[in-house]
Amino acid sequence: MTWLPYAHALPTPQDLPIPEWLFAWGASVVLIVSFFALAVAWREPRFEEERWRPFGVGLSRVLLGLPGQIVCGLLGVFLLGLTVYAGLRGTEAADRNFAITFVFVTVWLGFPVLSALLGNVFKPFNPWRAVGRAVGGLFTALAGQRPAHLAYPRALGRWPAAVGLLAVVWLEVVYGPGSGVAVGLSPETTAVAALIYSGYTLAMMALFGVEEWCERGEIFSVYFGMFAQLGVFGARDGRLGRRRPFSAATRWATVPGSAAVVIASIASTSFDGGQEGAFQGAVESVFEWLLDAGLGRLAALRLSDTIFMLLCFAGVWLVYLIGVRGMASVGEAPSLKRLRSGFAHTLIPIALAYLVAHYFSLFVFQEQAQFTYLLSDPLGTSSTDLFGTASGGIDYTVLRANAIWYVQVGTLVVGHVIGLTLAHDRATAYWGDYREASRSQYWMLAVMVAFTCFGLYLLSVANS
Amino acid sequence: MQSSPVGRVALGIAVVVAAVVLLIVLKDDDGGDKASGGATTTAEQAGSGPNDKTTQPSEPSIPTVVVKDGQPVGGVEELTFEAGEQIRFEVRSDTEDEVHVHGYDIEKEIGPGRTARFDFPASIEGVFEAELHESGEQIAELRIEP
Repeated sequence: MTWLPYAHALPTPQDLPIPEWLFAWGASVVLIVSFFALAVAWREPRFEEERWRPFGVGLSRVLLGLPGQIVCGLLGVFLLGLTVYAGLRGTEAADRNFAITFVFVTVWLGFPVLSALLGNVFKPFNPWRAVGRAVGGLFTALAGQRPAHLAYPRALGRWPAAVGLLAVVWLEVVYGPGSGVAVGLSPETTAVAALIYSGYTLAMMALFGVEEWCERGEIFSVYFGMFAQLGVFGARDGRLGRRRPFSAATRWATVPGSAAVVIASIASTSFDGGQEGAFQGAVESVFEWLLDAGLGRLAALRLSDTIFMLLCFAGVWLVYLIGVRGMASVGEAPSLKRLRSGFAHTLIPIALAYLVAHYFSLFVFQEQAQFTYLLSDPLGTSSTDLFGTASGGIDYTVLRANAIWYVQVGTLVVGHVIGLTLAHDRATAYWGDYREASRSQYWMLAVMVAFTCFGLYLLSVANS
Repeated sequence: MQSSPVGRVALGIAVVVAAVVLLIVLKDDDGGDKASGGATTTAEQAGSGPNDKTTQPSEPSIPTVVVKDGQPVGGVEELTFEAGEQIRFEVRSDTEDEVHVHGYDIEKEIGPGRTARFDFPASIEGVFEAELHESGEQIAELRIEP
């Protein structure tokens, strides 16, 4: 009997599966809430208008002014440099090296939540954007003219970011594990990947322009920016301001490929959650079949995981498309194409809920490491103690299993409600007739229920 | 809203039926999943069996993990405990190595003629790996349930 190593770089404990009674309650609440949503449905769209209210000029000048941008940009570049340096020069023990926790936990899991709460906070810290702007500024100063760029192909839209998003998760959970050894992605690989990605990103920025590439192709900007659309804070024309919650999200998906980004997010989280529980048996079968076909252990492992990751992507896409097809059959529906992009933003809250449900405990545990020994001893070589916290550790008792379960189920239910709200709101804008709008939403309701119950299901069989 | 009460009720019934079916199917799946991972199911029972009944009064049989050539015999054993009780198990190995219990961060040396005996309170809930330090091979999974 072969056994698959866990694809995790960090030795944090896994969550216990949610108990059956909680699963049943969670699913019931989801259905009751959805039903209730149909009954209280409103007739006019409420989130399509932003109602933008700018803050005072002083605040914007401090936060968005050139000095602030330079400080934030330098900090971002410094942290990227530290990541690469720690990865190349530091210990090979993944949990003791700054690189892995910083990239895959602090940044990758921290910014989605932070962005939803505070707006697009990654933007000023984006190291590639900072470098790109500095180089662009220098060029303009020396050449006396702005750098010329190619026109970005419109149809490509956010596809590069969607593919990149899958690649980041693939690197962490598929490429990582060694053959038969439960050691995940190495810090060195992380550093090399960061260098390659930096080269690629700067080249693309040179080709298409810094802001253009950040808006469409740069994985981290697009991904974190997507979650920032949910929140109330934003910047416009150099002014910070406040808007209606979720209102920015209604316009986000007009760029082609946006649906792919949000679907890639849901799919990759599903894959990571499912590989140790729901899909484990199936992954193992494919793995053994590939072994029999003559593949090496590592190749078979990576290939079987890759197959299932892509299947997750296809599966999530399919469920969404069924919903869109269903809606198209109701009354005087807009075109399929318009529906397909028009409802993509309603999945953003689901994606965020999936993220929080699956990684909440990992984040709480690992951030203790980030701000104690990883900060004081980033290389993990016990040679530095910058802030006197190098001897700190992770207190795993801060979260009881019960607390984790309630957070998991709670976020899935809240994400579900917000998703439904956005979908109904969009329908009232698309269908002139209120009754048809309501009827079209039976389809999206089914889609949302499917995603949320699937999320609950993944949690209930996690590593069982 | 008052448009078609019949349709609405029909939809409601359909949703409830779908929910019930979903619950049943998923519960079945849950059971099926456990059964399909044959080795882990028996390991779990073997692990939780003794500790349910025997650990509290005395300790006649402690779950033992046997490691041969750096690999756990019979696959990765799943040991289940309840929070607050003592976690007791043994590891025997024919090669020199070190057993590391994640989360609790306990390390013990093993080797021919040197059995590692673990005995510590289950203070942290969750699923933890016990692995060999040198090879990184996982040999057991500890589940501490609330």
